[in-house]
Amino acid sequence: MQLGRIGISAAILGGLGVLGTLFLHWMVFFWVPTEATMGIVQRIFYIHVPSAWVAFLAFGIVALAGAVYLWLGDERLDQTALAAAEGGMIFTTIVLITGPLWAVIAWGTYWTWEPRLTLTLLLWFIYLGYFLVRRTTENPQAAKRFAAVVGIVGAVNIPLIHVSVLWFRSLHPQPVVLKAEGPTLHPDMLLTLMVGLLSFTLLFLGIFLLRFGVARMEYEIAYREARGAPSPAPSGSPASPAAPSSPPSAGPEAAPSE
Amino acid sequence: MRGYLGQLSAIVWKDLVVELRTKERILSMGGFTVLVGVLFNYGLDRSVVRPQDLAAGWIWVTIVFTGVLGLGRTFEMERSEGALRGVLMSPVPRDAIFLAKVLSNFVLTMLAAILVFAIFGLFFDLSFGSHPLVLLAVVATGTLGFTSLGTLYSGVTAGTTMGDTLLPILVFPLLVPMVIYGVTATAGLFAGLPVSEVSGNLRMLMAFALITTFAGAGLFRFIVEE
Repeated sequence: MQLGRIGISAAILGGLGVLGTLFLHWMVFFWVPTEATMGIVQRIFYIHVPSAWVAFLAFGIVALAGAVYLWLGDERLDQTALAAAEGGMIFTTIVLITGPLWAVIAWGTYWTWEPRLTLTLLLWFIYLGYFLVRRTTENPQAAKRFAAVVGIVGAVNIPLIHVSVLWFRSLHPQPVVLKAEGPTLHPDMLLTLMVGLLSFTLLFLGIFLLRFGVARMEYEIAYREARGAPSPAPSGSPASPAAPSSPPSAGPEAAPSE
Repeated sequence: MRGYLGQLSAIVWKDLVVELRTKERILSMGGFTVLVGVLFNYGLDRSVVRPQDLAAGWIWVTIVFTGVLGLGRTFEMERSEGALRGVLMSPVPRDAIFLAKVLSNFVLTMLAAILVFAIFGLFFDLSFGSHPLVLLAVVATGTLGFTSLGTLYSGVTAGTTMGDTLLPILVFPLLVPMVIYGVTATAGLFAGLPVSEVSGNLRMLMAFALITTFAGAGLFRFIVEE
């Protein structure tokens, strides 16, 4: 069965990601040289930047898969978007936790309206909206389309948000801002960063595939139950009210509220 | 093209007539605006801060809040009465329905925005600068983008159990460009800057309005699909 293949790929990628992340932590704590001006707090950079990269990568997948889902209507595309959104939300949260932890030492304040930090916060809220729409929409098929629309509209607005928050900062200069990542990064630091980027990307792909496999199974179970086909469980009750998502055969004629 | 515009204006007309007869949204948005002005008055110490210095930001935030109040109800009546199905079954393209909804919402939100300026000007003795038409263009462009986003997303929230309480969470993150450029342009005009100083902001607001309106017109059919 193809779910088996997805599970194996998820285990391999996720396993490599976990190993890489452990190795990354060893590099961060024991190997990489300490940055001259900021001291040891700069080491959080190797967690922070890869997380941000994955957060935006995931959002790209959400928007792209959502757009193609609206076009082709293939359920797997919606499950792809959902899986990417859940992984992306985790990494966006990591960015938002590690950023202020670093900033309080480097800049002397937990929060500043640094453009990239602001953009990440807004991204987090766009993800939040995505999940709220998915969870609270009454018609399960509509929930998938609504979520795709939220993902696409968020993605087309992100460049404009980015430009505007950058411009706003240039309007109100903040002299405390230090550039952690200059173009003259020490080769050891660059290597550590690359290991971080690679490990987090693998870790994300592992989580993403795992979640995708779960979403496919949920869908198949709901589909079989709705068809009344014998389920592999011994007492396959066809009227299980706890079906997570309704299959397509439930009918497009979903009752509008009243 | 003529048929398209005719269909579009028929829906706009219908919405505005319904609004004029029920006055639900006009009254709640208007009352909200005046009362926010009253509350703001007690939210600051005039011996320390000049209202003129804060006015541009207050005005835009109030426009956003009162706008969300009205936009959240775009599809309320039609959903509950089942009339949306009637509109959808008419031989009108989906994007025309969307643009018509945006236009009728735009008229309402612009009325509210003008009321915000009038009330705040009266309450706080503001000076609006010497380019009222440019100011109007700034407010109208920002409001158009905001209305497009709000109209699209109110179609989404109407289908959720959270209803219009979900609307701000969906819309506000995307309003950052509008608030940044709108407030900067408005503050500049209030301070008497020449028009050339704010034209860049106006262009960015136009970009925002174009992106949101086109995205909404293209995606609306997936919102109302049954």
